[in-house]
Amino acid sequence: MDPLAAIKVTFFQECEEQLAELESGLLVMQDGAHDDEMINALFRAVHSIKGGAGTFGLEALVRFAHVFETVLDEMRSGKLPVDGNVVAIMLRAADMLADHVRAARDDGTADEERSRAIAGELANLCGISADGPDEVVEEIEGLDFVPVAFAFDDTPPPAPEPEPEIAMPAAAAEPEGPPRETWTITFKPRAALYASGNETAFLLRELQRLGDMDVTVSAAALPLLQDLDPEEGYLVWTVSLVTAAEETAIREVFEFVDGDCDIEVKSARADASGALDVHALIAMATAAGAPAEAREPSPAPMPAAATAPEPDNSDLMEIIKFIDDAKAAVAAEEKGEIAPSLPAADMAAPAAKAAVGQSAAAAQGGAGGAPQAGQTIRVDLERVDRLIDLVGELVINQAMLAQRVAECGLARSSSVAIGLDDLEHLTREIQDSVMAIRAQPVKSVFQRMPRLVREVAAMVGKQVRLVTEGEGTEVDKTVIERLTDPITHMIRNAIDHGLEKTEDRVARGKPAEGTVRLAALHRSGRIVIEVSDDGAGINRERVKNSAISKGLIPANADLSDEEIDNLIFMPGFSTAATVSDISGRGVGMDVVKRSIQALGGRITIASEPGRGSTFTLSLPLTLAVLDGMVVSVCGQTLVAPLTGVVETLQPKASDVRSLGPNGTVIQIRETYLPLIDVGVQLGYRDTPLLPTSGVALLVEGEGGARAALLVDTIQGQRQVVIKSLEANYRKVPGIAGATILGDGRVALILDVDSVLSAKVTEPPRNQTLLAAAG
Amino acid sequence: MADARSISVLVVDDQFSMRSLVRNGLQQVGFVDIREAGDGEDALRALIARPVQLVVSDYNMPKLDGLGLLRAIRSHPPLAKTAFIMLTGRADRELVQKAVQFGVNNYVVKPFTVATLKDRIEAVFGRLS
Repeated sequence: MDPLAAIKVTFFQECEEQLAELESGLLVMQDGAHDDEMINALFRAVHSIKGGAGTFGLEALVRFAHVFETVLDEMRSGKLPVDGNVVAIMLRAADMLADHVRAARDDGTADEERSRAIAGELANLCGISADGPDEVVEEIEGLDFVPVAFAFDDTPPPAPEPEPEIAMPAAAAEPEGPPRETWTITFKPRAALYASGNETAFLLRELQRLGDMDVTVSAAALPLLQDLDPEEGYLVWTVSLVTAAEETAIREVFEFVDGDCDIEVKSARADASGALDVHALIAMATAAGAPAEAREPSPAPMPAAATAPEPDNSDLMEIIKFIDDAKAAVAAEEKGEIAPSLPAADMAAPAAKAAVGQSAAAAQGGAGGAPQAGQTIRVDLERVDRLIDLVGELVINQAMLAQRVAECGLARSSSVAIGLDDLEHLTREIQDSVMAIRAQPVKSVFQRMPRLVREVAAMVGKQVRLVTEGEGTEVDKTVIERLTDPITHMIRNAIDHGLEKTEDRVARGKPAEGTVRLAALHRSGRIVIEVSDDGAGINRERVKNSAISKGLIPANADLSDEEIDNLIFMPGFSTAATVSDISGRGVGMDVVKRSIQALGGRITIASEPGRGSTFTLSLPLTLAVLDGMVVSVCGQTLVAPLTGVVETLQPKASDVRSLGPNGTVIQIRETYLPLIDVGVQLGYRDTPLLPTSGVALLVEGEGGARAALLVDTIQGQRQVVIKSLEANYRKVPGIAGATILGDGRVALILDVDSVLSAKVTEPPRNQTLLAAAG
Repeated sequence: MADARSISVLVVDDQFSMRSLVRNGLQQVGFVDIREAGDGEDALRALIARPVQLVVSDYNMPKLDGLGLLRAIRSHPPLAKTAFIMLTGRADRELVQKAVQFGVNNYVVKPFTVATLKDRIEAVFGRLS
């Protein structure tokens, strides 16, 4: 790929991140909360999209982003007040911007008419023109700028000296006696310190005897009163101590509370003589306790290279102060409060500290909790998949090795067997770690939903609030990709069918605004996704009547509430009295159910009249490995996915009944289930196995339909690595894939649903099903 | 004449794609030693660990922005003589004026062509070979 094309791909990926940030920021604002840093972040998001778009000549995108950016700039400078109306327009604009980005990415065009309308709305907010920037310019108009040439010699810049000499002003000023040093002591008592009757004031007083000190206390960790544990320690003291005493003397003060507090003693000298840690500098500069020395600020030096390089003797505080000043000056100037002169910037420093503190708090508050840019790398998905494949091979290889060793008759306690155990442990860990690379938070799916909710709610004229939980829950990328459609559909349904009309809600004493909740969580090795609404719940009378009128169930069927609820998953079922724009697209819950099952998942429904409904999806975390039951059929080894197996049993002759030439049922407790001979079903044999000589796996398939699969024997349970049969051969009915077992043999993985449906589509299907349901 | 190959550059932008674009442009002009940083603080950290001769930095970045970075560089003697070129938007006149006070060497308006980038660098270092 040519480098620019590759960069363009990255640019569009980044756009998605910016758009997500933009939307989540606007949604927070919609709830009434906003601060300068947040508006700044919104501005930056749109600004970055526009910047890149300009580079790639994406004109329509640049035009729209320009207007949006201008309005955000007005908001940033405080000229445009933030209110509900403004945020609503901006949310629409964010959706439009997303459309522009995607249109540009897919070489299409966005809805220009809508774009113009929204750009017009934006422009009206602050009386600007809705036109984008004109032509590309190389220089800023009306700017009298002379580039500053650099006297450049070809010598590379000096590497930082390992141990620069430090001029310590405090030490120099001391005429005699041992040199005095500045120490920074951070002291955070834990609950145990207070519990054992210690008093921080005494400790600090003790410390003061050693020299001159300056104490600040940070209450940043103090929670809200309602969350406050009165016995817990929340305060952190930062002491700046100038003393001639040794570090041991300082530590001695805290000797008796050792273990009951977090204590850090740092010398300024030690800090400075090591590598300059900018992070620490910035942290110190922005911490409340950083001593602010009264220092004459030097004028901004012009980059004239005429003077000889100065020796590297800058002391720490100077850098700290300048980073601080730099932030302060820029912050102050942006607010337009203070002219861009350095002394003035000094006065603004506290304000900047506060602002920085705020943003740090916001970052810690974890609006998104996204990893920092510097800590992530982008890797081609193919490489990750190749790695996963190889680890799969490794797992198989390790299993084969283990089997060979077992065959050699080596004792479990032999060093080879023990070594193999370690290897197995390690292999599993590698496998988990590699799977974790593919794992992604469901956020990427969840964050598309607010827009969907806005659009659907507007279309059906309902007031809807979307609540999302567990966005950070991680699951395999493939699973995530295939979750979007089912979740989209379920949310549409929840708004369209689940929630009542606003006036009906009010009449029933419910809040006018309906709530749709989308939540993700991990539960016993699977991911669970819940879509719930606080609507009217499933109207079982109507569902049942509809199913009867469509011939899906007999008119006299006696069904439990749960069975009625499950009718909505039957193909061809639709309860919408009026076919609406939203859900009347021929895609029913049966499709949702099938796509979830295709992912190895299940969907269940719980509904309470007047209270609402909850759809629960339970999915495997990955599609690459599977817990399976290894069985033999006609000398073939097959794997049945464990998720579908409810129980196993040895059929007794008295429990098995014949239903015509092809049908056999087995009585399991009070129920009759079809008994399917897997060997016959897959064409391994023509004559069915005698049920009593085999083992029956009670499996659950589509629509909750259950059946018993008859196999010859069960070999055991194990985790297997799934290899696609389709990718290497072709789709085989009844087979979901293949795997390689420890002995090197290939085993086919049963597709329980297709075995079941192949069987149950044969006649007397309905009776069988109903018998099964009863 | 300055040899582009002997000039080390640090590209600072919070957008990976923008950094890649600048890097791409610099490579076309003949630069070899090109490093990247994702914001002003990262840049400062990288510079203190290993200084460069030229910083090409965006203005609008989280944490420490381009102006802040410029000021920090100019006020730290070991780094003060690093050439600094700011990437700006077409309307950022006030920004460039401020940057001039803080000692910026030149600016490049986004979007830019490779020729423009080269031209702006040559205005600082003399003709590149």
